[in-house]
Amino acid sequence: MKTTGKKSSNTLVRDLVNVGIFGALYLVLSGLGASIGFIPMFIVVSTCAVSLVTSVPLFLFFSKVERPLLCCVLLCTLFGIVMTISGHGISFGLLCVIYGVLAGLCLKLFHKNFVGCLLANVMISFVPSSMMIPLWSSTEEYLAYCSSVCDKAYIAHLAELSSSYWPLIGLFGFGAAGAVVGGFIARRMMKKHFERIGLAQ
Amino acid sequence: MKLDPRTKLFLAAVANGMIFSAPLVYSLLMVVVASILLLLEGKWKFACTFFFIYLDAAFLFDLTKRMDVGTSGTIILASLFLMYRIMPACVVLYYVITTTKVNEFLACMSRMHISNKVTIPLIVMIRFFPTVFDESRAIGNAMRMRGIRLFSLRTLKNPVSFLEYRLVPLLVSITKIGDELSIAAVTRGLSAETQRTCVATIGFRWVDFVVCAYCIVVVVSFTVTCYR
Repeated sequence: MKTTGKKSSNTLVRDLVNVGIFGALYLVLSGLGASIGFIPMFIVVSTCAVSLVTSVPLFLFFSKVERPLLCCVLLCTLFGIVMTISGHGISFGLLCVIYGVLAGLCLKLFHKNFVGCLLANVMISFVPSSMMIPLWSSTEEYLAYCSSVCDKAYIAHLAELSSSYWPLIGLFGFGAAGAVVGGFIARRMMKKHFERIGLAQ
Repeated sequence: MKLDPRTKLFLAAVANGMIFSAPLVYSLLMVVVASILLLLEGKWKFACTFFFIYLDAAFLFDLTKRMDVGTSGTIILASLFLMYRIMPACVVLYYVITTTKVNEFLACMSRMHISNKVTIPLIVMIRFFPTVFDESRAIGNAMRMRGIRLFSLRTLKNPVSFLEYRLVPLLVSITKIGDELSIAAVTRGLSAETQRTCVATIGFRWVDFVVCAYCIVVVVSFTVTCYR
């Protein structure tokens, strides 16, 4: 059968519904994963926990959408909008859009194979890592904001972290490492469960 | 009392902004308006419980912060912070979600010339949070019956299997709900490329002007205080 190559608007609606569903799930799971960051010594590795927990839903999301670029951009933009409204600033929202574009491009360039999904997962893992950039870019304002929320020991630990750039590299590094490990776990789970029952290709 | 969905969105945006970035007084001003709106909607039980918990959490937060009890204090502070800073934002969103019908929200977004590509995921996302929590609770109960708990020796030995037991059923159930939702959306003509019509009447009334004016006054007073 000859096809025009144009995707149906019905699949667009399905993709948009999937963005909404997985967006909600991503928000809930990333909140749960990031909650270990309330323990001072786990602040840097909390991004790893977020990436590990969100990898399986993201892999399922990548396998279900037909317009990877649009869907990744929308997913990250929605997350950015929610975070901007909840006080993380517009710059974080813009970063989310950039990560979404990069993730979408990775999926599009690698035709949604494992490497593409893994790279897209790594790109999206930078989203929670970027949430703490203000600790280094505008240290005093960030610490002043945190002092209204946390106790003195926690603030002192944050101030200690902000004195060097290594923790920032650690945040991104652990996030990416968690995304890679989570990606391999997700591939195993996809083969074991979702592909078997026909939820993913 | 029926507010226009755009007024509700404006209220939600201002309330979130004030709750997360302004001092406690401005946050309290937004909490008061959210409670009044909930009372006017007849949700007096919810509004009273929320206001009681909010005041208690604010008091305990202040008390714990002064005590300076170290790392364990941070966890308690974080929980209290969730109650007294994030809960008001959630209550405003609860008001917006429970009192706005999907067709009204779609009509309002279409009036604001916002693309369906943003509107549909946003509606699904907002409506899906309760489903995620309900499904997660049901799966949690089922797993607890089988002895699978977060704080157990079995989980400590193999955390990935715990993730698998909790996450896979949740994902399967949510994906199936999502598929049904998209089929329902397509059946209702959401994918049609023509201009949609709506039977719901939306528009600004005097109540909308009162709420908008209140929000503007709060924002202006906060801005003036900041730059003084």
